[in-house]
Amino acid sequence: MRVSKEALLIILAFIAPIIVELRTVLAWANIELTVLESVVLGLAIVALVLVWAFFPEDESSSETPERQLSNGD
Amino acid sequence: MTMSESGGTYIDNFPAEARVVRSALYSSFLALALGGLFGIIQTLHRTDIYRFIESDMYYTVLTAHGVFLVVTFTIFFLVGVFTWAVTTSLDRGVEDIRFTWLWYGLMTIGTVMAAAAILAGFTDSIDMSADVLFTFYAPLQAHWLFYLGLVVFVVGTWLAGADWFRSWWAWKQENPDERIPLPTFMVLTTMLMWYIATIGIAVSILVFLLPWSLGIIDSVNPTLTRTLFWFWGHPVVYFWLLPAYMMWYVMLPKISGGKLFSDPLARVVFILFLLLSTPVGIHHQYLDPGIAEGFKFIAMTNTMFLLLPSLLTAFTVVASMEHGARQRGGTGYFGWLKALPWRDPVFAGMALAGLMFAAGGFSGMINAGMNINYLVHNTLWVPGHFHLTVGTASALTFMAATYWLLPQLTGKALWNRSVALVQVVLWFLGMTFMSNSMHRAGLLGIPRRTAEPQYQGFEFEAGVGSVAELDFQLALGGALLAISIVLFLANVVGTAFNGRSDDLPANEFAETLSGPEDSPQVLDNLKLWTAIAVVLVILAYSFPLMSIVDRGGLYGPDISPFPVSIETLSLLAFTLEQYTTAAIATTGEFVQTTLTGVIR
Ligand code: HEM
Ligand SMILES: [Cu+2]
Repeated sequence: MRVSKEALLIILAFIAPIIVELRTVLAWANIELTVLESVVLGLAIVALVLVWAFFPEDESSSETPERQLSNGD
Repeated sequence: MTMSESGGTYIDNFPAEARVVRSALYSSFLALALGGLFGIIQTLHRTDIYRFIESDMYYTVLTAHGVFLVVTFTIFFLVGVFTWAVTTSLDRGVEDIRFTWLWYGLMTIGTVMAAAAILAGFTDSIDMSADVLFTFYAPLQAHWLFYLGLVVFVVGTWLAGADWFRSWWAWKQENPDERIPLPTFMVLTTMLMWYIATIGIAVSILVFLLPWSLGIIDSVNPTLTRTLFWFWGHPVVYFWLLPAYMMWYVMLPKISGGKLFSDPLARVVFILFLLLSTPVGIHHQYLDPGIAEGFKFIAMTNTMFLLLPSLLTAFTVVASMEHGARQRGGTGYFGWLKALPWRDPVFAGMALAGLMFAAGGFSGMINAGMNINYLVHNTLWVPGHFHLTVGTASALTFMAATYWLLPQLTGKALWNRSVALVQVVLWFLGMTFMSNSMHRAGLLGIPRRTAEPQYQGFEFEAGVGSVAELDFQLALGGALLAISIVLFLANVVGTAFNGRSDDLPANEFAETLSGPEDSPQVLDNLKLWTAIAVVLVILAYSFPLMSIVDRGGLYGPDISPFPVSIETLSLLAFTLEQYTTAAIATTGEFVQTTLTGVIR
């Protein structure tokens, strides 16, 4: 996994408002999506993030050392 | 600024105080549970997805939702967290725990009275109701028990403030040359703001609404009671927000792994709120016909100045978080964000709350502009705005803070940290849907405060999407929020039933990069700031109030129980002004001597 489960949760949360308003933004560019299309698009984005997150990465990656630090808890 | 040199948890150091704080928090969570329940009922009702109450009961539900959440939930939490902050930062218990229980008791009795009046509205068998919404605008009239309950509740909060001032005075005798510790400073300035603000509601209820509901007077001047309500109604939003700010200043930097960027800046922020919170209330009345445009314009200008302390807060808090992240090994322009302790529900909750508050700030600026306000006034946009501010910046911060406080207050570890993390993220997600759809619906002109937002022979038209989609989004968001509340309560109950734990962190605040010694002494001169605040309030309100009374009479247009003319009034206002300024200047010493005289 490229990021921790918790980080993934937060990333997905941050994507939510973007997906919700994407349809409005696209409408400005005269791209009109139906509800179904925007739901599908949203799910596709979520799927992409999941693939990115779970895609096995080189073990020597430097993603995690800072996670060793305690939360102060 | 590490306070409890002794180390240990809060309950180790202050067992008696921990009980009061815990009771206040539990009272607040009970209100959250009830308020959340009514929230989901009204959401499903007005979106016409699921209805099981009659539409004419909608205002009873909405009143309960508003009052339980923005009065009971927020303020009970606040008094708990303020007691914790004062005792911890002064490192001394309250002076007399019986007095502490007294104010807690008064607040509880007041709540029960008001709640009884509201909930009686659900049944016809009791001849009592208070379907007046949390703004209780006349001519809507509640049973007198509701108004009296509010009075008792507010008196409780006044005494709570007196309790904290008393602690500070006692501490000052022993530490004459020390600066006020930051958390205590924040509590005291917030309470000074509260004392000034509650004058409005006290006059409104005691002089007008309560006698009116008892039949002692026949009518009131609705513009006057509304104006008095908003005299209190704007500062109360900072009463909800400042405890959240306090947690962002004194806890968040520590949890991020760093130190507070600047103690002096934090003091300046709280002083600005004391000065500017009250003389802006008329910005809620841009559409009230009885108030001249000029007064509204002044209120708007003051409001724009109020942005400053919030921007200062955003800067200081983000700078402190960045400092923490870099201490934890974070690097890069934005890369440091990854190094923040996102898996910690206390951090994640507060950070998400802060982020949503930024969005709420932007929609707030639109509310504050006199001309654009006309576009969104009384539409669903407005609940969309304040579910981001009080409904998230405050509520979510309080819930996140609970995950830190509850172990401190009970000596028991949090029941489940993963559930806690999911809970705060779910709140963010639910609020994204709910608040977004509310804002969007408001732009279409869909009104707030109605069980039936559709009209016969008229369709609201959406630029993008449809009203049905917005309704669905609203209901989806509301449902996620309701689930989030259930998870939160489950964690509270689970923690209460946990066994005692030995390895809890010590009860400490964040240290500072730039401490109080860097700030000018004058910042701690509370009398000075209070006096300036009072003068600003008099400047902002005396003329509007005089002209409202002049136009509509003190007790309504035709009814004047005693002859009133503009001359007598301005004389009265002038005398009052002189008197208040003088009184405020001496209040400090007076209260102090009386208190010590009476109590010692
Ligand atoms: C389960 C979570 C919640 C849901 C589903 C919810 C839903 C709603 C809805 C749909 C309205 C608009 C009703 C209307 O105008 O017709 C509303 C109003 C309101 N909500 Fe919430 N809400 C929730 C949580 C909160 C929280 C946490 C707070 C504050 C701490 C809050 C404070 C308010 C207030 C003050 C009003 C305005 C009441 C009035 O107009 O008199 N709500 N809520
Ligand atoms: Cu306001």
